[in-house]
Amino acid sequence: MNLSIILIVLIVTSLAAYVLTKVNKKAGALVTVVGSIFALVAVFLLRDFIGNEVSLLYFNFRLTTAGWYFSMVMLSAYSMTSFFNIYWMKKLIYPAAYNFLYILSMAATLGIFFAKDFITLFVFWETVVWSSAFIILMGKSRKAAYIYYVISAIGSMAALFAIMFAYGTTGTFVISDAFKGLSGYPGRALAIFITFIAAGLAKIGIFPFHVWLPSAHGNAPHTFSPVLSGGLVKMGAFIAFLSVTAFPAYEIFSDSVAFRGVPMPVYIMMVLGAISIVAGTLMAIKQEDAKKLLAYSSVANGGYILIGILMLDQVGFAGGMMHLINHAVASAAAFLAIAAVAYRTGSTKMSEMGGMIHRMPVTYLVYLIAIISMAGIPPMGGFVSKWLIFQGLADRGMIFVAATAFFGSIGSFLYVFRPLSAVFLGQTFTRDLNKKEAGILMLLPMIVLTLMSLLTGVFPNIFLRVIAEIQTSVGLLPVTLSENTIVTNNGFLDAFRVFIVFGFGFAIAFVLFVIRRKSRKVDLMDTYTSAEFIHTRELLHYSHSFYAPFERLYENAPDTMKFYHKAAVKISELGNLAESFLYGIKPAGTVLLVMGTVLAVIIAGGVL
Amino acid sequence: MSILNFVFAFCMLLLVFIFQTTLTGLNRKVTARLQKRYGARWYQQFLDIFKAMRKDSTSHGWVFDFGVMMALGGIMATVTFIPVAGFRAFPGTDNVFVISYLLAVGMLGMAMSAAGSGNPWASIGVGRALTNMLAYDIPLMIVIFTVIFAFDTASVGEIAELQQGMGILGWNALRMPLGGIVAVIALLGMLGKKPFDSFIAPAEIASGPMVEYGGKHLGFMFILHEFMTFIEVSLILNIFFGGGATIWEYLLKYAVLYTFMNIISGVMPRFKIDQAVKYFYRVPLALAVIQGIIVIFTGLGVTIWF
Repeated sequence: MNLSIILIVLIVTSLAAYVLTKVNKKAGALVTVVGSIFALVAVFLLRDFIGNEVSLLYFNFRLTTAGWYFSMVMLSAYSMTSFFNIYWMKKLIYPAAYNFLYILSMAATLGIFFAKDFITLFVFWETVVWSSAFIILMGKSRKAAYIYYVISAIGSMAALFAIMFAYGTTGTFVISDAFKGLSGYPGRALAIFITFIAAGLAKIGIFPFHVWLPSAHGNAPHTFSPVLSGGLVKMGAFIAFLSVTAFPAYEIFSDSVAFRGVPMPVYIMMVLGAISIVAGTLMAIKQEDAKKLLAYSSVANGGYILIGILMLDQVGFAGGMMHLINHAVASAAAFLAIAAVAYRTGSTKMSEMGGMIHRMPVTYLVYLIAIISMAGIPPMGGFVSKWLIFQGLADRGMIFVAATAFFGSIGSFLYVFRPLSAVFLGQTFTRDLNKKEAGILMLLPMIVLTLMSLLTGVFPNIFLRVIAEIQTSVGLLPVTLSENTIVTNNGFLDAFRVFIVFGFGFAIAFVLFVIRRKSRKVDLMDTYTSAEFIHTRELLHYSHSFYAPFERLYENAPDTMKFYHKAAVKISELGNLAESFLYGIKPAGTVLLVMGTVLAVIIAGGVL
Repeated sequence: MSILNFVFAFCMLLLVFIFQTTLTGLNRKVTARLQKRYGARWYQQFLDIFKAMRKDSTSHGWVFDFGVMMALGGIMATVTFIPVAGFRAFPGTDNVFVISYLLAVGMLGMAMSAAGSGNPWASIGVGRALTNMLAYDIPLMIVIFTVIFAFDTASVGEIAELQQGMGILGWNALRMPLGGIVAVIALLGMLGKKPFDSFIAPAEIASGPMVEYGGKHLGFMFILHEFMTFIEVSLILNIFFGGGATIWEYLLKYAVLYTFMNIISGVMPRFKIDQAVKYFYRVPLALAVIQGIIVIFTGLGVTIWF
């Protein structure tokens, strides 16, 4: 299998999807399913061709293990979500364009992960940005797409600057050579490091660029939010990965001040990751919209991924890389579960529904497993990666970053429980009493993702072996693995054993429960109400401002979005000022002034 | 991992249940004496549990039952991971992060079941319980992080053994005194003892998460509470008070620590939940960070006594 063939096939598929959707919407959606599954299988088969180099037109690719791993994460999110497209065709305004862009953006991500030179990387990067921006535009809000595009553009322009500067210094566009040639220029290297990683930070949604996630994830079409959160933000993680591996940050900055063995520029990026964890967690806790809540949780989890990757060591790095797939799978599953609920109820507001577990039990289980993984609770995958990150932090003694990591971890219990309790548990609203379980094609991808979460949690070594290979390829000591065990300096983890013992505990509890007398089933309304008579189901459901006492403690916290809004107002005022000079009612005076100034400058230049 | 491990684990569960329930019964007596009451008999706790298990119960749907089983199952699995005086039912599973996060499975099950009852009082209680957890866990985890850094191991059993053989001076609570204070305060929060008991809040929000439970469900919750107490006290005992070289030393220390917690609780008023958060993020968090900085940047506390 050849990468350029895959890319060509996918681009042709995207055009076919466009044409076919014009004829038959469902057939067009089916093309996205087939196309993304094809990409998943084809890229999986590329595993045997690691190290090959291929070219397509002006673009050069190199197959690496890291690129393969990132692509598989991305394609899992794309292919599983594509099943939902079939159901959403009738709700979209431009279904043909949606299907076209869906496949096109997916193909472009492959180009990023396998790029050999900067030009390839940048062209495909921009393709993903604009194609996904158009998809977000089809959602609830135009503004969300603007915010997404502006923040992405800031990142892209910064990266472009870094690329050109690196080219100017070393004279090559090949990623590894261009970055390795910088070691003689510490000042330039610092500028390039900061501007290049900025593109990654913008994409992962690291503070201060995190504002686009809640607006874009929250307002994108329900079928695209899982891709955004599970897949596209991982592009940023790839840039962060390049910034410490292809760009030898630890070596180039080895002379700078270091904190616990981490050079200051890298440490500052880690601190930004830590701030994202805290900010994302606190904001997620107080959201009222399930999708926005999950979007903020992506901000927090992006912080973990960034910190893990930037640690660039044996354990923490493996944790960060593994968190990538864990979060992709769990977040996609959670978003899909919310999408399935929204498909039936038409809302993602948590206060507008309740007790969906009695109508959609499978969807509930999918969401439950997803949040167990997201919150880092065994026996799911999220626990293993967070465990590795904690071990890595403890090894280095990075106490401040660790404190935020703990905060994010416990805080995630709070926010993931909210949709569980508000949407799925509690009283079923009268309106929703006749709702049905999601369709079979929706359940299928959700169940696959759930099994993936379980697989990463019970047999993490399958995935860690690939990560160990990546570590070897970038010159790190690979994480130590034996049969089922992950070994670190501070201890070891046998995830399978934890799973078995949990099963043992559950079995005892189950037997104890069953041998006791059978309980009488009563209606949900038949509860203790302190002698009040309440007959309205909606009134007996507690979901609005769930953590009110806690939220009150930080209600006056500074808001990044407010700052951006004020900055936008100031910039537009500055523009107005310039405009009033140049395009006033009587522009003659201005023209005279400008001409006079130009003349004065020329004359002054001639005289001097 | 052989069948023998599971037999050990099962025996351990039984013994832990008997020991902790007896201790709870005795402590009911202690609290009563503090308040100048006569108090219930020491075996009253057993009677309460068996009575609940024998009674009829009502169920609010499958998640109400499933959550109860998941909670007790998760908590019982966690108990078998706790090293007791060098004994481990499943060798190699006593990693502190595994224990503290596997504990969360049980808590999630409990929260799920309570919210699944459809009673808003239960949801309010769960919200408070999670907030309380966010409050006490951060300072505690920072101190535990410091201990892991100092000893280069995250195994609870190994941390306990490394403190033994030096008498009382080997205890982490004395080597890292600020951390020791944080650990004891956090233990009060973990156990849900006053002043941090607002999520149960007897006589305030109609018993919080437990409001809808009766019969065997309530019996499960009683049993779960005993196990959870054992995990929490054992964690602090092993990490900060040197565990025990022999089983008797361990149980004695355990009884003293638990009774001490109860006595503090007996004379305390109750924080509102936001006050508890503010308190934890002001005093214990500051102490924990100071302790961490001292240990990590100066090495003081690891080597101070020798």
